[in-house]
Amino acid sequence: VFRWVGHTAELELEIEAPSKEAVFGEALAAFAELVGNGSGPRTTRELEVEADEPALLLAEWLSELVYLADAQQFVPERIAALELGEDKLRATIEGHLGEPRPLVKAVTLHRLEFRPDDTVGWRARVVLDV
Amino acid sequence: MSELEQIGEVLWEIPAAARPDMRVPARVFADRELLAAIERDASLEQIQNVATLPGIVEAALAMPDVHQGYGFPVGGVAATELPDGVVSPGGVGYDINCGVRLLGLPLTEAELGRRRESLVHEISRAVPAGAGKTKGRARRGVELDRVLREGPRALGASEDLERTESEGCLPGADPGAVSERAHERGAGQLGTMGSGNHFVELERVARVFDERAAEAYGLREDQLTVLIHSGSRGLGHQVCTDYVKRMDAAMRRHGIELPDRQLACGPASSPEGSDYLAAMAAAANFAWANRQAIADAVRAAVARVLGRESAEGTRQVYDVAHNVAKVERYQGRDLLVHRKGATRAFPAGSAEIPEPYRDVGQPVFIPGSMGTSSFVLAGEPGSIELAFGSTCHGAGRRLSRTGARKQVAGAELRRELEARGIVVRSPSNKGLAEEAPLAYKDVERVVEIVERAGLSRRVAQLTPIGVVKG
Repeated sequence: VFRWVGHTAELELEIEAPSKEAVFGEALAAFAELVGNGSGPRTTRELEVEADEPALLLAEWLSELVYLADAQQFVPERIAALELGEDKLRATIEGHLGEPRPLVKAVTLHRLEFRPDDTVGWRARVVLDV
Repeated sequence: MSELEQIGEVLWEIPAAARPDMRVPARVFADRELLAAIERDASLEQIQNVATLPGIVEAALAMPDVHQGYGFPVGGVAATELPDGVVSPGGVGYDINCGVRLLGLPLTEAELGRRRESLVHEISRAVPAGAGKTKGRARRGVELDRVLREGPRALGASEDLERTESEGCLPGADPGAVSERAHERGAGQLGTMGSGNHFVELERVARVFDERAAEAYGLREDQLTVLIHSGSRGLGHQVCTDYVKRMDAAMRRHGIELPDRQLACGPASSPEGSDYLAAMAAAANFAWANRQAIADAVRAAVARVLGRESAEGTRQVYDVAHNVAKVERYQGRDLLVHRKGATRAFPAGSAEIPEPYRDVGQPVFIPGSMGTSSFVLAGEPGSIELAFGSTCHGAGRRLSRTGARKQVAGAELRRELEARGIVVRSPSNKGLAEEAPLAYKDVERVVEIVERAGLSRRVAQLTPIGVVKG
């Protein structure tokens, strides 16, 4: 699950998920909710990001989605395949080409967090500049 | 906050001793009422965090429109001493050289008459919000690297250039320091406005406070103007993203520890620092070219609706950046002045000001929230004495976007603006609600504080008669 917390200049995304992999799925769903609209030709994108800690990997993952939306008008819908290593993530994303709402400028490192949690499995937090 | 001390009529200070990691004091320009609003979010903590940056001199400053950001607050000014003081990409922000340009039209509201609606609609067609289906209308056929090196000069000679801060071109710009992705994002976006708080507004000069300065700026009561607010679009966002990441990875090597990861920085003289400054300059030049392309599109719309003579008589007053880092000299020292949500405001006599304005001070534009007044200011000597040549940049957000949406219905706001005679063109009621006036501080109060502080003075007040949103 995810929820949005609004601040004056930015949007904070809080994620709870049973596994590390699921955190990335929730992040994609949250981003799609924010920018997605309409429909268009269906397409997929292959993504590969690297970072030496899970929190940065999450920031990189979302940065990729921002880039794909802004440069290629790609609206993500779901993860078709995901391979998560210690410092690397590979994924195939299904979505469509459309007119993503140009709301998210970037993914910040402000209050960035990714940690195990006894009750829900994993918790993550990332702040987007909007 | 108990550690806040009043050190001037509208100036407050948190001493450097308030926290062991602060290198200089943190200062805030505000009266008691604005200060109460500022204390409600994390701005004061964030400006104290800025005061920990290696190489920072004198004080970390917050303008009266300051509000919580990420890392730096929005409305912050910090100067570091070169060559080894740090540069922080987050201290410039993602929208590098977001800024404001004002055009003066050669006619009054009465002379425009019933053509007002056609003009606003034509401007909204001429200035796309973004890429996508509307991509075809963005400025094409210009070599991107030339834009990054030269700014608006790459779009052709124009008398607008000399009426643009830094003549629209920061030195040292290197397209090679700008990533492939940033290039890709920028390629289709020249001449696009973007979304969020960006806009093009048709305004009427409602009041003149300073006749002499207004005359020098070519402004008179009842005259029509066009105010353009946009930045470096996806190109700038990507440059900042790339270099925050690079600085974050390099900080340990430089032995820098910071209270907020988003403040990531490196010595300006380091490879990361100098590459960032070269990329930032390129993005800043792109932003000036972007506002130039928008101004050209506005003139074309004016020509279609009002005739070629009106378009030829549309003069640029000035163009200011409010998210940028610049090398400036103060008291014999070369400083890197970070302005994030703050505007340069040089006083009369500065060689950096175009000759026709040199006796009255640099023009500064302070957009209010949508549908409310905006202000034209002139730089005052206090800006140099107290604020590294800076003043405020806008009203400053008070509510989050979701908070604004909870309190305002976009459709209702649209009707309300139209009932006040303001023509509104916006694709989304949701977007309108997020920018509702109640989401912002009162711009008149913000402007009053910078005037009382001696940073800048009021020249003219503008009221909107047409709003085009992305």
